[in-house]
Amino acid sequence: MSKPNDTSKQEPNQPVTVEPIDSDVPNRFTVLGPLKMLVNPVAQLTRTIMDLIGLISVALTASKLLFQTKRRGIFMALFYRQIYNTGVRALYINGAVAVLVGTLLISRLFDYIPNQVMEDQFGYLFMVIVFRELGPLISGVILIARSATSITAEIGYLRLRREFQVLNGLGISPVFLFLLPVFFAFPLSLLLMFIYFDLVVFLSSYAVIWLSNPSADFFALLSAILNQISLNEIAINGLKAVLGGMMIGVISIHFGAKVENSFTEVSDAISNSTTTQLLVFFVINILLSILAYTQ
Amino acid sequence: MTGTLTLENLHIEYPEVLLFDRLNVAFPIGSLIGIETDVLDGATSLLKGIGGMLYDIDGRSILNGRNILTMPASERARKVGFVYEDEGLISLYDVFQNIALPLEFHTDLNVAQTRSLIDATIEALNVPKALLQMQPHELNDVQTRLVNLARALVMSPELLLIDELEGGMPDDMIDSTMRLLKGKARKENMTVLLTSSNEHVLREVDQVLKIQSNQLVESPV
Repeated sequence: MSKPNDTSKQEPNQPVTVEPIDSDVPNRFTVLGPLKMLVNPVAQLTRTIMDLIGLISVALTASKLLFQTKRRGIFMALFYRQIYNTGVRALYINGAVAVLVGTLLISRLFDYIPNQVMEDQFGYLFMVIVFRELGPLISGVILIARSATSITAEIGYLRLRREFQVLNGLGISPVFLFLLPVFFAFPLSLLLMFIYFDLVVFLSSYAVIWLSNPSADFFALLSAILNQISLNEIAINGLKAVLGGMMIGVISIHFGAKVENSFTEVSDAISNSTTTQLLVFFVINILLSILAYTQ
Repeated sequence: MTGTLTLENLHIEYPEVLLFDRLNVAFPIGSLIGIETDVLDGATSLLKGIGGMLYDIDGRSILNGRNILTMPASERARKVGFVYEDEGLISLYDVFQNIALPLEFHTDLNVAQTRSLIDATIEALNVPKALLQMQPHELNDVQTRLVNLARALVMSPELLLIDELEGGMPDDMIDSTMRLLKGKARKENMTVLLTSSNEHVLREVDQVLKIQSNQLVESPV
């Protein structure tokens, strides 16, 4: 007996009718078509924002489990693993990019600014260009490209292998095991990456300055930078690391956890999560910079 | 007998398939119950339903007076063990950590006690110790199921649900595993509910049921 909508058993000479695969896809122009095109992305964005807020609240609620010593032990092992993979193993690429940025920045500035002025203004330029903007932005992009994509893929595959269900069966919340370590490790990793980036840019900048002026005083330049960095600058950078890292981590988990049945959903999840993370991270950085540094 | 596992109006239905229609069955505690299974007959869903691992099902699954379906997750994890037919391990962890995970999360055992309990359990299951250091993806199907079983047994659950343990196992391994389960069931008052299509296994249990017309009925095996 054929199924009610089985089109393979059509009577001869009858026209073959093909049902639309997805009834949501408009197959002819209607008034509602353009309206749906406007409303759907907004609705989807709203859903995503609500999901992300929900995830953050779930993570904060699950954090109370960390007060129990044995459970904290399970968390800490995963947290250290995450810090190592995200904050420590990223140092070489962060360092390499910082060397290139430092060298390029100073050699370009030398083209426009006289040597003496350059040394005088070094601290201010470093603080405005590197410490405030480039350090956070480039470190965030590296975190997204290198670690957030891995987390999305990892969570996606864990979902495909039904490991979330296994954990639920064991009475262990997947949030505790998969979300919390990322939720806490990403901000800390990002902060480490900021510091490391700034340090390497400074060292490579000094190397370029020293090549053109071997009498340039290392400690004078360092002190010129430190004098520019106020508590406010440190707080804004800390906020960028905490908010940026937390959002990057939560977005990875959100899109990874949407994977259900197919391997192709994992690549979709990575693509969607990376796009969203870049957007959100740039918005956070720019908003904080405008709020903090606009006179 | 000190108690029962009772299913009261347990109803499992997916959007297009009715699997179990208001089951009302009672099993004595400390017994081994076999459910003779066939392809896609819903036996795995039944085990998960009884163990409180399915959402949106109706009815009650009462273990010694407590409804498993409404138990807090932590209590359920201590009272109900589940052995998956395939996979079922957490790929972030090696075999030892997989077995230790519920102990670390739900009990107050220290590291030495956890290690000693795991060693004793895998020895009883004739699992080589070298397996403990391996990753889940390095195990074959039989080893994966034995690790699943070890993880459930270390918690000494009141109810053990086993989904087709025997696939790929030689007869002597099936015999020794069934002997172990029978001994534990009697000694620890643990009820074991297992699905199987293997007559060798079903001969070893106290009662055999089969799935017929969305109900559990006595099987002549």
